[in-house]
Amino acid sequence: MSLLKIQDVVTAYGKIEALKGVSLEVAPGSITCLLGPNGAGKTTLMMTVAGILKPRKGGISFAGEEIAGRAPHDIVARGVALVPENRLVFPAMTVLENLLAGAYQRGDKKAVAEDIDRMYARFPRLRERSAQHAGTLSGGEQQMLAVARALMSRPRLLLMDEPSLGLAPLVVEEIFRIIAELHRDGVSIFFVEQNAHMALKVAQHFFLIEQGRISFSGTPGALAEDEVIRRAYLGSAQQ
Amino acid sequence: MLADLIQNTLDGLSIGAAYALLALGFTLIFGVLRRANLSYGAAIMFGCYCATWTHLNFGAGLLLLAAITVAGTVLAGAYVERLCFAPHRGGSMIAAMVASFALWMQFEELVTLVMPTHLYAFPALYEGAPLAFGPYTLRVDALVMFGAAIAACALLWGTLYRTRFGLAVRAVTEQPAAASLAGINLPWVYVRVFALASAIGGVAGYLVVASHGQITPMLGMWSTLKGLLAMMLGGLGSLPGAVVGGLALGLLEAHSQWFLGPQLRDLIAYLLLFVLLAARVPWMHTRSAS
Ligand SMILES: Nc1ncnc2c1ncn2[C@@H]1O[C@H](COP(=O)(O)OP(=O)(O)OP(=O)(O)O)[C@@H](O)[C@H]1O
Ligand SMILES: [Mg+2]
Repeated sequence: MSLLKIQDVVTAYGKIEALKGVSLEVAPGSITCLLGPNGAGKTTLMMTVAGILKPRKGGISFAGEEIAGRAPHDIVARGVALVPENRLVFPAMTVLENLLAGAYQRGDKKAVAEDIDRMYARFPRLRERSAQHAGTLSGGEQQMLAVARALMSRPRLLLMDEPSLGLAPLVVEEIFRIIAELHRDGVSIFFVEQNAHMALKVAQHFFLIEQGRISFSGTPGALAEDEVIRRAYLGSAQQ
Repeated sequence: MLADLIQNTLDGLSIGAAYALLALGFTLIFGVLRRANLSYGAAIMFGCYCATWTHLNFGAGLLLLAAITVAGTVLAGAYVERLCFAPHRGGSMIAAMVASFALWMQFEELVTLVMPTHLYAFPALYEGAPLAFGPYTLRVDALVMFGAAIAACALLWGTLYRTRFGLAVRAVTEQPAAASLAGINLPWVYVRVFALASAIGGVAGYLVVASHGQITPMLGMWSTLKGLLAMMLGGLGSLPGAVVGGLALGLLEAHSQWFLGPQLRDLIAYLLLFVLLAARVPWMHTRSAS
């Protein structure tokens, strides 16, 4: 059974349909990547799964339960967390407060404190900056914070919307290393990426979305073999 | 001359403390909902009239009257939230503002229907002589007003910076989408912020009415204007700014009244606001964007 199952989802901004009937599945324990050009509907899809946007039609089930149309906090409680595009940390709150906000629904204070320690072990820069306002962090540090904040809710499925956007190459490598680590720790990951080269190194399954429709679904091997996709997303340098 | 200056400063600070509370309530709602609640003052007036009515019909102690004022204001605030703000969440700014203006009229009509006389006496906070320090006098009720305002600020600070609810309020204020992605229930926060802001407004209203010893339906308009003015002077959307703006407004009024007479007192504040807006001083635009 799939962990996340999206069926014929239509999401619109006013009259404009950004998703025109999207269906896809994410297997438990997998790393799945969503590729697509600018304006294809990637962010819209992530926001719809997370409950920020309500689908006009279609169904979304997570671990067998219908979540389409539910409130975002309810979806977080069920085990889905989204690291949003552009990170959206709370700039005037400290790093520690950002992490506490991520654990907002959890009552188990002791376990939360342990998880914060775990985050600090995984992201040592965050420990150093614990009392600093999040707005003073570098872009890479803010991305680490956004990931850590999402993990504080102990998600079973982590959604990430362009986690490498605007970051230096070294930081991008760091992000992908973390994605692989999280996966090893048992978190399923569904992420949006424009950097197909990096995504090929970690993802086990790919979807391509174009103009609000899924136009490709397959393994990294199939992706690399597809002539059209290779030209558009991997450049000719691969050949 | 110097004695007058000091006396005016004391008077200005004490009324400024009430303005600061009014501005804090406004700012909380504005910060979280990004909308101005025009019926804020009317809700306060409603709360104060609840207390006046209780006093007239049953008589009641000061503390009980204060509690009734706060409870009445919170009730009215909840009504406003349900009717004006909950239905327009994420929707039109104008719709919520116009709706809240309509409720202002509703509160005024209701109050004048039940209590048709224009002016009612309200039990004073303190009726003895003012405290004298050499040439200066300090009205005890002004002192109470100042103390209560400081206590309310401290309580608000504690709530915002030391509690789980406060963490949620700050998160929603800074980044609503990220707050809901973090698992914070936004409607839940909105309702409670409204109640909290109304309670603060109720405290301010009670202090003002009790120190004047009387109440008229104009209290609604008065509270909204003073609160808005102080909030804008302090830089839209900043809580410390609201306190500073309130105190500054009180001082400005007290001093300009002495220099220019009571007729020009209100004009000066509007003039200052106009000048600050026209000059686009940086602190008045910091939080209004994004
Ligand atoms: N708030 C909005 N109001 C109206 N239209 C929107 C809004 N947000 C996105 N759109 C439109 O919906 C479509 C999909 O946008 P979306 O942000 O999901 O694309 P994306 O794949 O995430 O793009 P990018 O790679 O630039 O992040 C685009 O055509 C965009 O113009
Ligand atoms: Mg996007």
